[in-house]
Amino acid sequence: MKTAATRKQGIQAQRFKPTPSQTPPTGKIHPVIVYPYKQPTQYDDLAALYEMIGNLVSTGERYTRPITVIDRKTHAAMAGNKAFLDFRRNTVARSSDILDAWCVDTCQMWNTGLGLAFEQGSNEDVYWLIPGDFDYGTAVGREVLGRLHDLPEIVLELNQDFCIGEIATDHCNSKQLIDTYGTFALLYNWFPVEAQEIRQFTERPRSEFFAVRHEFLREVLAQRWYPYEQTVVMLLQAIFAKRKISRFFVGNISDLPEGKESLASAIQQVERTERVLKAVWRERNASNKNWLEQYQTLEGRSEQVRRAAIVVLQNLLG
Amino acid sequence: MSSFAYHKPFRAVNFICHAVQAKNVYLVGDFNGWNATAHPMKQMPDHSWLLSLELKHGHHRYAFLVDGILTLDPRAQGITRDDKGNRVSLVPVS
Repeated sequence: MKTAATRKQGIQAQRFKPTPSQTPPTGKIHPVIVYPYKQPTQYDDLAALYEMIGNLVSTGERYTRPITVIDRKTHAAMAGNKAFLDFRRNTVARSSDILDAWCVDTCQMWNTGLGLAFEQGSNEDVYWLIPGDFDYGTAVGREVLGRLHDLPEIVLELNQDFCIGEIATDHCNSKQLIDTYGTFALLYNWFPVEAQEIRQFTERPRSEFFAVRHEFLREVLAQRWYPYEQTVVMLLQAIFAKRKISRFFVGNISDLPEGKESLASAIQQVERTERVLKAVWRERNASNKNWLEQYQTLEGRSEQVRRAAIVVLQNLLG
Repeated sequence: MSSFAYHKPFRAVNFICHAVQAKNVYLVGDFNGWNATAHPMKQMPDHSWLLSLELKHGHHRYAFLVDGILTLDPRAQGITRDDKGNRVSLVPVS
């Protein structure tokens, strides 16, 4: 069965009459941009991103001034580079407040940016993470840019706790392969019930596109911030706490070449996912009697799952 | 680019459900209080079901009632839950 909702004007349509109870939400949206760790050689993609952000902030009362998190290592690597310094001053700083931070990885950049935004926000607010390392300057990328704002708006309008943005990729895309054979296979081992719930919403549980409500972000920030695969951890926490999750398709978009995965990187991501799932499982179960026996059983299976995933990745990416 | 302009005009949205064997299909959603009979869909010559509805700017939750069974739209742009916890579809209107 195929079904579809498509927008079209110029046909006879029944009109929905809004009810008085549907009042606009009062919260603000806090955009947090994670600047690419490796500065792209051309600036078109980042320029398109900041143009979109500038337009949103200037035309919408709902948006606060964005925060851009830049790793100090990125800044140091580009020291003396006029194009970088000009872009930083004339585009990034004009459209956002720059948060320079020493970060061990991208997840720490998220943590730093979302943490600062949270401190500036209030209970009704929503925080919107925007990764900077995508090809926003392409025709398709610009279409995606036109949809990204839906993520925080869905959280606000529909009173959701977490909205994950899903991008479309072909079946042999490394992200797709990692998630299909690595992330979900490992999730089914360590958290089978929660994994099924997550998959009802998304095929991309490591997506870097998301928006999160203030109260849920408070909960996430207060808990241990794992060093990687934060979206998976946030989804698990959302399921554990019975938070309201939505998924929204943002379109077809690719990582910039600087951020694309090699086989080695893909293997590393599967291994990191396994490590973080082990850590989350232990944290939730270590107080139970006989937890170690159960852990060792799951760990043995997890190793088989990881090895199988690496074989698949090697066959397709190697 | 939207910015929560609630005063923006209504936009027509075509809802299409390819349930060729169904005897009746209704559209339910936030916009009609999830009323099971408020918005019957019309069967088209290709046996798919169609309803065009004008919705205001924003995001709307909806689903199809196919012979009384709540059914997701597989081509919807998003998925969320209704107030009862059922998975339902999501359509943006801008």
